[in-house]
Amino acid sequence: MILTEESVKAIKERLKQYPQRKSVILPALTIAYRQVGHLSDEIYQEISRVTKVPYVEIAEAATFYTMFPKEPRGKYLIQVCHNISCALLGADSLIGYLEEKLGIKKGETTPDNLFTLISVECLGSCATAPMMQINYDFYENLTREKVDAILEELKAKA
Amino acid sequence: MSFYSPVITNAAEVARSESLHLFRYVEDPDQYKVETFEKHGGYEAWKKVVTSMKPDQVIAEVKNSGLRGRGGAGFPTGMKWGFVPKDSPKARYLICNADESEPGTCKDRVIMERDPHAVIEGMAIGAFAIGCHRMFIYIRGEFGHCIERMEGAVKEAYTRGHLGKNVYGSGYDLDMVVHSGGGAYICGEETALLNSLEGEKGLSRIRPPFPAIAGLYASPTIVNNVETLAAVPHIINRGADWYKTMGTEKSAGSKIFSLSGHVKRPGNYEVPLGFSLKTLIYDEKYGAGIRDGKKLKAVIPGGASTPFLTPDMVDVGLDYESLQSVGSMLGSGAIIVLDEDTCIVWTIMKLIHFFRHESCGKCTPCREGTGWLEQLVTRIEHGEGRPGDIDKIDDLCGNILGRTICPLGDAAVMPIQSAIKLFRDEWQYHIDHKKCPCPNNHEFK
Amino acid sequence: MATDAKTDTAAPARPATVTLTIDGQEVTVPKGTTVLEAALGMGIQIPTFCWHPKLKSVGACRMCYVEIEKMPKLAVSCATEAVDGMVVHTDSDLVKRGRKAIIEFILANHPLDCPTCDKGGECDLQNLTYRHGIDDSRFDFMKMRFTEGAERTTFDDVRIGPEIVLNRNRCILCYKCVRANKEAFGEYDLGAFERGNITEINAAPGREVENPFSGNLVQICPVGALTNSDWRYKIRVWLTKQARSICPFTGSGANTLLWKEDHQQKIFRCTARRNDDIDDGWIADVTRYGYQYVMAEDRLQTPLVKKDGKQVKASWDEALALVAKRLREVDDNKGNVCIGGLIAPHLDNKSLYAFNKFMRVTIGANNVDHRLDYPMLPTDGNSAFSILASRPFTIADIDTSDVIVSFASDMLKEHPNEYLRMRKASFFRQAKIYTIDPYAVKNSDIASLDVVYTPGADEAVINALCLAAAEDQMVDAARIKGLKEKLSHKSAADAAKAAGVDLDEIKVIARALANGKKITFMAGELLARSSFREAAAAALANLNRLFDIDSRGQMARLARFSNSRGAEKLGLSPFPAPAVKKELEAAFGSWPASDALTADKMLVQMNKEAINAAIVIGANPIMLYPDREFAREALEKLDFLVVCDSFETATTSLADVVLPLASFAEYTGDYINMEGRTQTAEAAIKPRFQSKPAYEIVSLIAQALEKPLFKSDVDCGTEMAKILAADHVLPWPSGYLEVAGEPVATSEEYPIPLFVGDDPHHSGHLTEKANSLLNFRGEAYAEMSAELAASLDVRNGDSVRVESPVGKVIVPVRISDWIDTPVVFIPRNFSSTPVTSLLMRKERVNRVKITKVAD
Ligand SMILES: Cc1cc2nc3c(=O)[nH]c(=O)nc-3n(C[C@H](O)[C@H](O)[C@H](O)COP(=O)(O)O)c2cc1C
Ligand code: SF4
Ligand code: FES
Repeated sequence: MILTEESVKAIKERLKQYPQRKSVILPALTIAYRQVGHLSDEIYQEISRVTKVPYVEIAEAATFYTMFPKEPRGKYLIQVCHNISCALLGADSLIGYLEEKLGIKKGETTPDNLFTLISVECLGSCATAPMMQINYDFYENLTREKVDAILEELKAKA
Repeated sequence: MSFYSPVITNAAEVARSESLHLFRYVEDPDQYKVETFEKHGGYEAWKKVVTSMKPDQVIAEVKNSGLRGRGGAGFPTGMKWGFVPKDSPKARYLICNADESEPGTCKDRVIMERDPHAVIEGMAIGAFAIGCHRMFIYIRGEFGHCIERMEGAVKEAYTRGHLGKNVYGSGYDLDMVVHSGGGAYICGEETALLNSLEGEKGLSRIRPPFPAIAGLYASPTIVNNVETLAAVPHIINRGADWYKTMGTEKSAGSKIFSLSGHVKRPGNYEVPLGFSLKTLIYDEKYGAGIRDGKKLKAVIPGGASTPFLTPDMVDVGLDYESLQSVGSMLGSGAIIVLDEDTCIVWTIMKLIHFFRHESCGKCTPCREGTGWLEQLVTRIEHGEGRPGDIDKIDDLCGNILGRTICPLGDAAVMPIQSAIKLFRDEWQYHIDHKKCPCPNNHEFK
Repeated sequence: MATDAKTDTAAPARPATVTLTIDGQEVTVPKGTTVLEAALGMGIQIPTFCWHPKLKSVGACRMCYVEIEKMPKLAVSCATEAVDGMVVHTDSDLVKRGRKAIIEFILANHPLDCPTCDKGGECDLQNLTYRHGIDDSRFDFMKMRFTEGAERTTFDDVRIGPEIVLNRNRCILCYKCVRANKEAFGEYDLGAFERGNITEINAAPGREVENPFSGNLVQICPVGALTNSDWRYKIRVWLTKQARSICPFTGSGANTLLWKEDHQQKIFRCTARRNDDIDDGWIADVTRYGYQYVMAEDRLQTPLVKKDGKQVKASWDEALALVAKRLREVDDNKGNVCIGGLIAPHLDNKSLYAFNKFMRVTIGANNVDHRLDYPMLPTDGNSAFSILASRPFTIADIDTSDVIVSFASDMLKEHPNEYLRMRKASFFRQAKIYTIDPYAVKNSDIASLDVVYTPGADEAVINALCLAAAEDQMVDAARIKGLKEKLSHKSAADAAKAAGVDLDEIKVIARALANGKKITFMAGELLARSSFREAAAAALANLNRLFDIDSRGQMARLARFSNSRGAEKLGLSPFPAPAVKKELEAAFGSWPASDALTADKMLVQMNKEAINAAIVIGANPIMLYPDREFAREALEKLDFLVVCDSFETATTSLADVVLPLASFAEYTGDYINMEGRTQTAEAAIKPRFQSKPAYEIVSLIAQALEKPLFKSDVDCGTEMAKILAADHVLPWPSGYLEVAGEPVATSEEYPIPLFVGDDPHHSGHLTEKANSLLNFRGEAYAEMSAELAASLDVRNGDSVRVESPVGKVIVPVRISDWIDTPVVFIPRNFSSTPVTSLLMRKERVNRVKITKVAD
């Protein structure tokens, strides 16, 4: 088992909230993703066993949504919004700046496995653009100084 | 398990005006707590509804207020509630649509983070109106803080007896489930949302049947936007007539506008409907004009799927009818401002990339068309456009518009069509000179 | 406060039909009909890709646009309900432009590799482009490809199942395959992954598409995205012709087409020929690929006769002369009653009838039977089981039943078409489904209640239903009278306990039976194959009487093989129904005076050397009779054995004369399905090698005996027609029947009940010769629950030794997704694993012990 007892329990808890079992797919994927950091066929199978929802339905859903990567990512997943409002305020140059600072290209992970840099669609922070999300936290109204400080802080924490 | 640090989102700037109700307590850092919310008169409306009103009365009041959906389509809310069959033996469901993913839109998030109980209260009233005993809020998965806030608020609401069995001794049972998405703009579209909530992929469904007849689990279902529902308690408290004092005749009430792009003071502003777009962009209290002393080039007034306005069109009221009269739409109220250095083709490239990425892939025109359009627009922006490309784009847009299952296809092509209509010379320049004429100097500072 | 004064007005009575105008013609259709269906019904063609008549409309491809007056946009006709007064145009300029645009969008990223695509000539995309498309594409980019790489594999084809090849680039994402798989078949081995324009159809990650209906996915794919290995690249479709045939492996007789080429005398594939009354256009893989046995390499080519203990090739004349001589010898020395006749219930009417006449007239014996895989058959014609088996049944009525019960039946394995019907009733009409079986079966997933009873306690569980209804007075008091006295179980609780089931669940089902508007109650092979079937059949007769099921629906034991019902109607048993017997007597002009023996009793008599010669046609009792050693010993003791078959089998190996039998595809024959419906399977090719149809063989033997069967073919036809017209349905008993529910014995040494039946991809002994089916399942296995496997310390694929008091086999383990009690199922279709050698014919429940084979 990859899923911990705690995750399994959480999934079973969620199962109770829905009139039909299949509804638990997204909550279950979310729980698994938060535990593991990425998903895999084995995880779909485990979820299928716990929820009694056919395996293929779980795999289909998991690949449809963008939030569940199938490959391991760095400790910090930097997701830069490159949609219109952020782009108008320099999201592309922000990505360039991060690439330079981290020494990786978009889509890559730093050799120390600390940072993975990707771009994402609008995250609903348009009035506080440009922004990025690192793991689950939003960082908004970004400037060079702010980015520098954030990266330093994360490195220090790691 | 907590995965989130405390809310650290920036305070979107908030304007003050007499009509404020949605944002009234938004700057109170404790408003998210149930005690504070109650102290500010929260849950009074819900109590009144569930202990003293009949569902029909609630629907009538909301109908009367002229409240229209704030999720994009502007459909009269009371009327929608009235579509739920009274005699159906099936369970009914109310779903709050908190998928907020339309580029430019960031208002629902603020409500959920700052005033989550307002959403619960609005939902509860809506649920009662249609006879629902289990309501859902579908929050986009990326909004970790909102999810946590809402979950916390729901827990509090249960403890204080605002939710649960036999609410306030009224005999009415009401449960609430916070459901988070997995990253898909299309799940904001109500039928895709239903599929997603059922555990399917977020593919849109063909209508009819409309959700009010056969929605979630094939049962009558109402889907409403966060902002729509958050307005409901105020209507109950102060009455439909009060609500109608704000806004225009056909667009009653106030609305939150997310102002973003090249304005000096971007933010979420609550103003009455019909408010002047020009004022919102230029007035010091609001947008305070274009950044860096530049001139305005264009405005997208209602989120990424609405047609552009040119500077000569911005002297317009922000209401459903006025914006329609200038060829655009109010949409979700996301106003995106472009300065003179911004290339329209570049803007369209950004937008069509988004729509291609978010197309669910169920119907042919949207799935294949958005991909094709993205390639065409990209090559023009990169100076590789070919003669005839502009007409081809326009024609392809025509083959998508009105031909798809859900409005995502329309959303993808309407801005393109308007951009071609309003800025054809600029498109042509890209092709003739094999390059983009605009500085596009969007540096982050 | 202003309130809305408007009150609810009563909805006007809805008309059951609507009238609309399509292309200027008015048409009236039932309410609920789509515009597309209305148009198709008028002969107006509307192009479609994603629509399928048996699936829910999704309106995805957008090819079926029509223009409807007063509607602002083009409407998709497949998902638009026809409404009174609608005015529809299916061929306006706007519609044409709309369709053209869709074709253009679909072709944008389509590889257009028609010259190398196996679908060419029968591809919807090719045909519709030809009709509605344009000859030039405005798409001037590189086409999207599923390229080489870690996850997405190649531009080329990928194998996604034993028989399915996928080319994702050709796929137009109509989703029909995935929808059919889930909606119609309840299978979850295929999915649509990712989203938007990179959506891809594929097998579930790490799995194969190997469900028993998978071949349908290929048939409904509108393009060359899904092809099957059976057919692909063997012949171009336009070089073939089709013979209208039917499924020779199941009781429903699904309609099929055999695609053949006359010059080569070869059949290339079998596809569904939709018949909504029977199959809805879906056929099981066993039907689709089973025909391959006809073309198998190792068909018997010539007659064989035993010389010096060895079978050697012989001419027909030689073989027939020998048969006649030896039969005459036995007849002369020991009498005609010493000759037995067994015939397989998948042979056509003419063959069955000819054999009946041959046995009863030419030989003059009553020893004739078609029930070769059942032990301990009832020894009189009016048994409760015979009644149950004779009751009428209508497949399509399953669809409209609101309460559907399947009892003692692994429906998927035994009755695939009816299994799908149950799913359909559940999916489209939310019918209540109840399964009552000695082990959990696949359709338990759609069952409102899935009751698993103690193996062997068949009658106890039915008694429990009856008693529950009686005790709680779910039916009229008058009906209850006289019931309880007849039952050995004193109370519902008592019976439920004996059956090992939850009384509350039994009550739910009883209530559904009492209140259902239309009921379908199907009993299956787990009952038919039981040595104690009589007791349960009597209990079922009581059940019918108590709930009066017959008047609100149907209750029957479903006929298992393609002509089981024909065999009954033609009197191919020792005790034909009275009306049938009367007609037979009239046709024969006589009736043998001798004792009538069932297949089972014949074997007993052979063992006692009271039957000394036998003719076996198309059957393989050694492999299928549920006591292999008993059957073998019986046949070995014969003085003379003639066996007709298409292949060498365990039974032919004992024969003195083996005659090569033509298959269903090699001559035209009539078959009667479980509903009593007569259907014709046309000859696709000529009999291969020297094989002959059974009726011809029988006639030749009769001729060799100088007692010709018929003066002419016409005679045979007229005789048969009269017999078939006779009512073979036996009336239900006039009162409640005695049901003594004997306790089921257990055994410490052999603790695990064993069930032997067909694998979902096989039927009887012939399908072992169909290579495609072997690709799905080529060897026997021991199917068991995960818990049982865990307790034996074995995993999927590990070998186990399965032992009964009389035999043992070694087979790999398969962990079942359904079975959740300690029982084991082993298929009987593989000659290399003689699983029937574990069985004892008299046992109520055969039990085994299972041990892990050390590796
Ligand atoms: C592609 C697409 C995306 C949408 N996204 C959202 C969204 O994120 N939030 C929302 O409230 N409505 C969204 N909508 C509108 C909903 O379909 C629906 O109309 C709305 O939730 C109804 O609520 P209302 O009547 O309160 O506006 C979207 C519609 C489309 C076509
Ligand atoms: S593989 Fe065939 S049936 Fe399946 S979605 Fe693609 S085109 Fe349709
Ligand atoms: S057939 Fe109607 S949309 Fe595909």
